[in-house]
Amino acid sequence: MIDFKNVKKVYSNGVVALGGVDFHVDDGEFVFIVGHSGAGKSTLMKLLLREEIVTSGQVFVNNHDLTKMRNYKVPRYRRELGVVFQDFRLLPNKTVYENVAFAMRAVGTPAKKIRKRVPAILSTVNLYDKFDCFPSELSGGEKQRVALARALANNPKIIIADEPTGNIDPHMSMEIMNLLMKINRLDKTVIVVTHDQKLVDYFQKRVITLSDGKVVDDHVGGMFE
Amino acid sequence: MKKRYSLTYLIGESFKSLWRNGVMSLASVTVLMSCLIVIGGFVLIIFNINANVKNLGLMNEMVAFVDYKLTDEEIESIKTQINELDDVVEVIHVTKDEALEGLKENAGEFGDAYAELEGDENPLPDTFHVKYDDPSQASTIKYQLDHIEGIYKVNNRMQVAKTIDSIKNSISLVGIWFLGILLLVSIFVIVNTIKLAVFARRSEIEIMRYIGASGWFITLPFIFEGIIIGLLSSGVAYLIVWLIYRYIETNGMSGIDMITILPFSEINTVVLAGFVIIGVLTGIIGSCASLRKYLKA
Ligand SMILES: Nc1ncnc2c1ncn2[C@@H]1O[C@H](COP(=O)(O)OP(=O)(O)OP(=O)(O)O)[C@@H](O)[C@H]1O
Ligand SMILES: [Mg+2]
Repeated sequence: MIDFKNVKKVYSNGVVALGGVDFHVDDGEFVFIVGHSGAGKSTLMKLLLREEIVTSGQVFVNNHDLTKMRNYKVPRYRRELGVVFQDFRLLPNKTVYENVAFAMRAVGTPAKKIRKRVPAILSTVNLYDKFDCFPSELSGGEKQRVALARALANNPKIIIADEPTGNIDPHMSMEIMNLLMKINRLDKTVIVVTHDQKLVDYFQKRVITLSDGKVVDDHVGGMFE
Repeated sequence: MKKRYSLTYLIGESFKSLWRNGVMSLASVTVLMSCLIVIGGFVLIIFNINANVKNLGLMNEMVAFVDYKLTDEEIESIKTQINELDDVVEVIHVTKDEALEGLKENAGEFGDAYAELEGDENPLPDTFHVKYDDPSQASTIKYQLDHIEGIYKVNNRMQVAKTIDSIKNSISLVGIWFLGILLLVSIFVIVNTIKLAVFARRSEIEIMRYIGASGWFITLPFIFEGIIIGLLSSGVAYLIVWLIYRYIETNGMSGIDMITILPFSEINTVVLAGFVIIGVLTGIIGSCASLRKYLKA
């Protein structure tokens, strides 16, 4: 469950990134967030991650009031989210397997459970045969699948992806999107920020359109319907 | 919710990082080690001064010389009077014959030269060695001794002890300044070492933060790194101090009989414990100072 209530975000340099945003996402929904450059999409993601704090308004995620959350609670809260970035952010000196295992170890998962779960997740993203490769040996699409696997590692309820296909060719983008759909069918809420109009039109899911820090459109279907 | 962060993993990460940061790690260890050696040097000098002061009976003791030609009863009465003074814990009567014996012994093979002075020719007075427990009462005791009938002179060794004390204080003061400055330099170098280590792993740290790794998981390897730097420094410093001290013990001061050097075995525990505590604390302070940002959230 994600709930934005009249959220304003003004950065310290005075830029109004979000100027009163309201929307609600139910558990298990799939939502695209679109908008021109500078519309405030990444800001919205940062608020979800509690990397930034709202200037006014309220953000609720899974019954946590992020506006009131204490700093020391943030790490545990973030384990309820899986994040994917445009630039993958894999550890270059670790193999595919280790990159995923690392995410589990970082939250204190016992080694035995890690050994059992990592292969399963790699299979989910169709990457099991590459478990021993280093990121430099992978294509963009494959790297993003590793990032997806890592996001899934700690079994979060919500997956958020900021332009996950931004650095990937169209064919591979389709594959990543299909994977996100598959993850959504595994009962996870999925929020995807994207610029890719074709993808949005193709999948016919809910689309929230931001413009200059405001929600200007929110409906199910393609971008311009 | 039990945390099961593998300690071996975290410590392994620390060693990896230390190794990757070779030059800076070496600099940290060298600086901290030098700091510890200097501190150790000062402390050992102070220890030895203390031991010598005690050995020479300079502390808390004065010597009262009595008039010549006193009867045994008079001398006995002086002793009782001294014993009755506040703060006096022990009075040792050294007769003039004993004093002469002592002189003869010290003179060794030339002792026979004193033979003529034995018996009635003995020019030495009887003395009382007065021991007391509270040094702040020294002048009062001296005053009281001076006023006992039959005592013609009181030799207050406090003066020598005081001089040595003030020398000791100056050494301590210099030592403390050195300690402060060197510790600051050590912390500065360690802070920069850890900052470099953090920088080398910034992408990893960023990922850990998004994943929801706790502050401890992120910072512990770096804190361990500081602890390892502290342990290495104190270990090497101890070794070096031990070698130097042993050299001085066997060769250095053999010419001067007056000065005794404490055996290393008597002070090694204090030195080692001090080194480890200071070293590890400095390491921890250094790494925490460079990790403030991550320890908060
Ligand atoms: N840390 C920051 N400090 C100051 N201003 C910022 C910061 N981050 C973003 N902004 C500003 O806030 C506004 C919204 O930025 P945001 O990154 O949310 O846009 P976006 O929709 O993600 O754009 P893009 O599609 O280019 O990624 C922009 O004007 C940007 O310059
Ligand atoms: Mg953006």
